[in-house]
Amino acid sequence: MSIDVKMAWRNIWRNPRRSILTISAIAFASLLLVFMLSWQFGSYDTMINSAVMIHTGHLQVQAKEYEEKRNIRLVVPDPAAIGGILEQTSELAAYTFRANAFSLISSNERTYGTIVIGIDPLREARVSTLKKLIRQGNYLSADDSNQALVGKLLAKNLNVVLGDELVVLGQGRDGSIAATVVKVKGIFSSGQDEFDRSSIHIPLKYFQDVYAMNGAVHEVVALGKSLEYIPEIKSRVTAGIENMNQKDHLVVLDWMELMPGLIQAIQMDLVSGFIFYIILIVVVAFSILNTFLMAVFERTREFGVLLAIGTTPGRLTKLLLTESVSMTMVGIVIGIIAGSLITWYFQVHGIVISGAAEVMRQFGLPERMFPRLSVLSISIGAGIVWVITLLTALYPALKVRRLRPVEAMMSA
Amino acid sequence: MKKKAIVALVLLLSSSVVLCADTDAQDAHNLVEAAVNYYRGKASIATVDMTIHRPGWERTMTMKAWTKGQKDSIFIIIAPPKDRGNGTLKRGQEMWTYNPKINRVIKLPPSMMSQAWMGSDFSNNDLAKSDSIIADYTHKITGTETHDGKKVYVVKSMPKPEAPVVWGMQKLRIREDHVFLSQAFYDEDFELVKIMTGHQIQMLGGKLFPKVWKMQKADVKDEYTLLSYKELAFKQDLPGRLFTLSSLKASRR
Repeated sequence: MSIDVKMAWRNIWRNPRRSILTISAIAFASLLLVFMLSWQFGSYDTMINSAVMIHTGHLQVQAKEYEEKRNIRLVVPDPAAIGGILEQTSELAAYTFRANAFSLISSNERTYGTIVIGIDPLREARVSTLKKLIRQGNYLSADDSNQALVGKLLAKNLNVVLGDELVVLGQGRDGSIAATVVKVKGIFSSGQDEFDRSSIHIPLKYFQDVYAMNGAVHEVVALGKSLEYIPEIKSRVTAGIENMNQKDHLVVLDWMELMPGLIQAIQMDLVSGFIFYIILIVVVAFSILNTFLMAVFERTREFGVLLAIGTTPGRLTKLLLTESVSMTMVGIVIGIIAGSLITWYFQVHGIVISGAAEVMRQFGLPERMFPRLSVLSISIGAGIVWVITLLTALYPALKVRRLRPVEAMMSA
Repeated sequence: MKKKAIVALVLLLSSSVVLCADTDAQDAHNLVEAAVNYYRGKASIATVDMTIHRPGWERTMTMKAWTKGQKDSIFIIIAPPKDRGNGTLKRGQEMWTYNPKINRVIKLPPSMMSQAWMGSDFSNNDLAKSDSIIADYTHKITGTETHDGKKVYVVKSMPKPEAPVVWGMQKLRIREDHVFLSQAFYDEDFELVKIMTGHQIQMLGGKLFPKVWKMQKADVKDEYTLLSYKELAFKQDLPGRLFTLSSLKASRR
């Protein structure tokens, strides 16, 4: 250990109370940032996963331009082939097929324009929460035909109850008129008003008959085992489609493309989070600046003596910087360790938001929220504290260079 | 004395200008009403092929259409066999649609009126409000052209302030013998949305009439709907029972 580092280390412990206070301020800031960021990232994971589980899935294969145009003629003609590609992708949890058509739905009294969605009852239950969202009646079974699941708000608007008949009138894939009568088998409520107000679900096979789909579907919906695998799965499926020579016809869309609103909400939340963190860091930075400045003022006479016996101003700066770097390092390491331990505890046990559990369960959301520790959530906060603290330390360290030995020694 | 004469002259002139403007608007209104009446007749029976054209896709269906006056009409699809018997009844501003397979009549809700009719480029509104051009708009003749040696009036139609219409402006081209040549639909920003044009003007049902109508959206090239009259007969009157829900449901006619 060089003499400078030894001196710096001794200087830190010359006033243990002040140094410990400074170190704990830094440690606390890093701890808080590690926990808050992990919490934020964890809640995004929960948010995204529960949002995609209601309907869109993590990933969809569609015909090109179907997402914008929603034209019934833009189909995935051979869904089984896409299923084959998905089967080979090990990071995939489940997948299902869907077909959609905008149609008139009419009860005895009223008529509304809604989306009719054809679903594969067995596969759908593994991909989306639809089955859990049934509030009245039953979910579709594999051999159902003209049975429908109706959104709660739509059922209310149409004034229908379980067992009532609904007339469906739309246009088939071949341009012919698609018409049928379905029975209300179940009523679902997702908590997303738009979804509950504007959709009915019927079995996919029946949909394909009524709308002359000729075996085609509109969406192949896939769910990954975890959010972080999605880019990997997306590139694999895209490669698979290229191998099938379907590249010009089909596209793979991930949840960010399917739900641009969700990613915007997350970005908004991130920004407001960062504003809070910046305020926190600024407060910490000022308290650190204060202790560093005090350390210099208090030791003006000492620096004067050091300069007088031939220490260069550069060496003094180095000495002061070594002191602040060591304190910051100790603080950050303590902060990261303590923060990670606390976060890890909650990551294992989860945090129950009291009172909200009932509501959350009702909408198919997990009742516990889990923070998620990651390299990113640990390093961002610590990194920012590190940079800000060093910038703060720079000011007194450079101020020292302007000291004149005699004047400095004269001061108290 | 001189002053008085000038005042009198000015008054006379200004009042005649006002009168003139009034008669202009009246002329334009009369012209549009005459054209609509000419086009619809007192009552008519027609067989029409409707072709919906999309890039790489085309479909034709044949329907029979009865109209009476400016408000009532009924359309029944007769081909292809799969869609045979489907019908639409329009009375005033209200529309019903019937499907024989499920044997149900559905009244179209107001929210669906701007949707495509039978997947074509015509909206339900185009059908339900086909006479609204007379009632809901004020007209002005903005120019003249010639077509087949006949004079053509270009009419700019602006919706009345309280009128329940979706268009911001319409431009009509009407020949002096009251044949509609085109009807262009503009949005609130006066951007062209779609345009309907008449082609192959010939003797049909005892008068000159465009045999083919083409409705084309302004922003897409290869998408349009053609209406081609196979038969057309104008009548003095048709029985009112033709334009009822039970008539819509009666599959044999």
